[in-house]
Amino acid sequence: MTASPDRTTGFHSDAIPIGEIGVARDSGVLRTFVGSCVAVVLQDRRRRVAALAHVMLPAANGRVTPPGKYADTAVPEMLRLLSLLAGDSVACTAMLAGGARMFAFGAGSPIGDQNVTALERALALVGIPITARDCGGACGRRVSLDVATGSVTTEMVGRGIQALEEDRR
Amino acid sequence: MTPLDQDALASLFHAGAAQASQALALWLGRPASMLIDRLTRLSLIDAVGVLGGVDAEPICGCGMRVTGALSGGLLLAASDTAGLTLADLILNRPVGCSTNWGELEQSAVTETANIVGCSYLNAIAARMPGDRSGGILPSPPQFIRDYPAAVMEAAVVSQAAASETVVLAESAFRLAGVPIRCGLVFVPDRNDFDLFGAAWNEPRS
Repeated sequence: MTASPDRTTGFHSDAIPIGEIGVARDSGVLRTFVGSCVAVVLQDRRRRVAALAHVMLPAANGRVTPPGKYADTAVPEMLRLLSLLAGDSVACTAMLAGGARMFAFGAGSPIGDQNVTALERALALVGIPITARDCGGACGRRVSLDVATGSVTTEMVGRGIQALEEDRR
Repeated sequence: MTPLDQDALASLFHAGAAQASQALALWLGRPASMLIDRLTRLSLIDAVGVLGGVDAEPICGCGMRVTGALSGGLLLAASDTAGLTLADLILNRPVGCSTNWGELEQSAVTETANIVGCSYLNAIAARMPGDRSGGILPSPPQFIRDYPAAVMEAAVVSQAAASETVVLAESAFRLAGVPIRCGLVFVPDRNDFDLFGAAWNEPRS
């Protein structure tokens, strides 16, 4: 299903398009495709709220719309949307998937690594730990978040489905 | 450099698509018909979905980086089934014989992309305005097998860095007598703004 993005309250659809942020509470599945883009998942398990952003570029450089498109604007916007949904401040953990070195159709260096680094920086800035990741490689990923269980799976062509294992240290 | 108007741009890419269609027909020895042929300006979300949405199966294809008088990315793409059928035709096997992507099958598709892509670009190069007549250079095609949205995401990133819309030239071909439909997508680099000035403006009503 696709729907028009509502940037006030988040993207309430199961399939999150490029540059958008999806949010859900209690149940549901949020999913997206990423190549050099990165899917960032923020979850507050206690309040049972979760967000998934499809981040395309490292920095907004002053652009504000859509905030999910850029690493440095996506993280604060996800926290705002999750707080709105939870009705309270949230304590989140993060998971990352994507950032592949895809075939370079355009000019410039592959952007996947830059996206991952920018997200690490943005998450560190607000004190959110990254508990699992599946990044790099040369292929795209289908990313799926089950909000009820908190599990995140990634699927790559030729590799199949893999669950992201949380580092609980 | 003088930007081309919308009609001149559409005509340029139509010439490329027509030549590509002829080249495909000659290469595979079957009539080919053009199903789609358009120069269009899409939202980022729609551009990423041009070859298939979130539930789409993986596609096969080849990407070529284009530089010179025109710069951007060129992609020849087909479903897995169509790609393997194409490999059967080129390898002179009964249709349905190829079931996975070995070296020979990949090579067959790569060579097809080389022939079709170069025909497309040659036709465009021959019709480029005088101040852009310096030639168009494609990179060797690289075989890709991936989800369509992931491939298109990589193709549009240059434009997406500066805009919420994407200008692209899209064509699709069908071959007579076999289940082969393939798409050819050219995504110009944002730095070709001077040539594509008209297309980057709001579409005419």
